[in-house]
Amino acid sequence: MSLLSLRQLGKSFQTGAHEVRALQDVTLDVADGECLAIVGESGSGKSTLANLVLGLFPPTTGAVEFDGAELPVVRTLAHRRSIQLVQQNPASALNPRRSVGASLQLALDVHGIGTSDTRPARVAELLRDVGLPEDLARRSPTSLSGGQRQRVAIARALACESRLVVLDEPTSALDVLVQAQVLRLLADLRARHNLTYLFITHDLAVVRNIATRVAVFSQGRMVELAETETIFTAPQDPYTRRLISAVPVITEEEKTMRNGLSQS
Amino acid sequence: MTLVLNIRDLQLAFKSWSGTSEVLHGISLTIGKGERVALVGESGSGKSVTARIVLGLLQELRGVQISGSVEFQGQDLGAMPDRERRALRGTAMSMIFQDPTSSLNPVFKIAPQFQEVLARVTPGISMSATRVRATDLLREVAIAEPERVLDSYPFQLSGGMNQRVMIAMALANRPALLLADEPGTALDVTVQAQTLDLMRALVTDHGTSVLFISHNLGVVREFADRTYVIYRGNIVEEGPTRDVFENPGHPYTRALMAAQPKITGGGLPDLVEGDRHYLEPRFVHEGVA
Ligand SMILES: Nc1ncnc2c1ncn2[C@@H]1O[C@H](COP(=O)(O)OP(=O)(O)OP(=O)(O)O)[C@@H](O)[C@H]1O
Ligand SMILES: Nc1ncnc2c1ncn2[C@@H]1O[C@H](COP(=O)(O)OP(=O)(O)O)[C@@H](O)[C@H]1O
Ligand SMILES: [Mg+2]
Ligand SMILES: [Mg+2]
Repeated sequence: MSLLSLRQLGKSFQTGAHEVRALQDVTLDVADGECLAIVGESGSGKSTLANLVLGLFPPTTGAVEFDGAELPVVRTLAHRRSIQLVQQNPASALNPRRSVGASLQLALDVHGIGTSDTRPARVAELLRDVGLPEDLARRSPTSLSGGQRQRVAIARALACESRLVVLDEPTSALDVLVQAQVLRLLADLRARHNLTYLFITHDLAVVRNIATRVAVFSQGRMVELAETETIFTAPQDPYTRRLISAVPVITEEEKTMRNGLSQS
Repeated sequence: MTLVLNIRDLQLAFKSWSGTSEVLHGISLTIGKGERVALVGESGSGKSVTARIVLGLLQELRGVQISGSVEFQGQDLGAMPDRERRALRGTAMSMIFQDPTSSLNPVFKIAPQFQEVLARVTPGISMSATRVRATDLLREVAIAEPERVLDSYPFQLSGGMNQRVMIAMALANRPALLLADEPGTALDVTVQAQTLDLMRALVTDHGTSVLFISHNLGVVREFADRTYVIYRGNIVEEGPTRDVFENPGHPYTRALMAAQPKITGGGLPDLVEGDRHYLEPRFVHEGVA
């Protein structure tokens, strides 16, 4: 069953005299429980797609369906609860004037999850769930490292018991060791809570190891959609091939694979 | 080889009401003319502050203690009057900042921001001359619609487009030293490859030297002649890039390599026991990721 369906989705912007066709005619089904990676050219409409799914602005054409029903342009609280966003920049995602615990508590309050008696315990549980100590609830987000902040942002998405999490470059601001931890956590949470991910990233090595399927975008269009294995071993679209053969790598084994693709 | 940058025993500490935190514990690093040197290490290890000291940005803050020496083209930056040091910024040396908000102003369109950059070497440059030159520079970083980008505010551009605007601005005045702080984090790999080619061309055509700060090991491997590994404010390893990657000498360097996911698959990297202590943030300060 597909959890999310995009139907001929498109978005244009007007900048002065220039019209920008940010996203054009995207039709796509995202299965319940999958991790769909969205990769491709910078400026090809990936974040625009994320914003449309989240209902941050209306589409120019087409519609978004969630759990079998078309989502209205103006989302209800229940809709907002079931689709959450985790952004690239953990610094700007959390209100610096609120403690970590207060931010999580607010998410529970807004969506009326639990009661005022049960919420503090739930906050502690959420922190544990993302591998953070409970006493971190009292700290300000500005006193946390990038990786810790990203865990808090993930905990906030979990607080809403959402089913779909849109991850827009969630680890690209993190160094490799912290990234490895956060990726493990994301994979783990998806399995434990049966979450569905729309995982936007430029890091194809991450995609290879975490995604079930991959959608490749170029110039506002989806040019290829396939199983992860297929994208990396038998890419069909010329843009996908170019993309994979440009991945910077560190091992000889990877170099061989990459060069093999750019020749065939 | 003539040294463009010579950092000797650089120490840095931040003083605040809550005490002093030592951030750099005596690092030494050199870059020759036309050399591409990478600085890699975990977040918080002191990469960005090193670049900011070279650019002369930290010297002007209160509560900052710096010792050791930084020589740029044979001149001691510490002994230079503030005015002279500032005149180097954006001309002889320029920086691609990790954080777009520290170099792009959200309330101005891109065109006037370009004008300000170009005016540093061409005082009084007109808007029409700016647009001609900026259009070329933006095309070099694979911006397909430079006209539209010049007429846009930063929020109207994608993350990767803003990053490319910053790269184009940093390269605009053909600096002798380019400080590139995580320059490709928001770019797709084909555009990233193109910006690397552009930096390489700058190195070959103008003898530019590059300090390349990155946590993307693949990019470092492909771009840098030499690599320094920084860990908690100390340089723990240095050598030709190839050697550092093929025979990493320090356990921290090995942990970094092991944590890098591979495009050949094999699952998410396992964190080996012992990595834990590499992960504890050493300092936590306001506003720095
Ligand atoms: N608010 C806006 N006003 C005008 N144009 C916009 C706006 N938001 C996005 N665009 C334009 O839409 C296009 C797609 O942008 P989007 O942010 O979706 O790209 P992206 O695929 O996420 O790129 P990146 O990989 O660089 O983050 C770009 O050309 C961008 O300039
Ligand atoms: N203006 C500042 N005031 C106090 N501490 C700072 C300041 N700038 C950086 N730091 C601290 O210096 C250390 C190194 O930071 P930075 O160079 O930004 O790390 P990175 O290697 O990730 O670029 C961190 O612990 C950071 O918190
Ligand atoms: Mg984006
Ligand atoms: Mg930094």
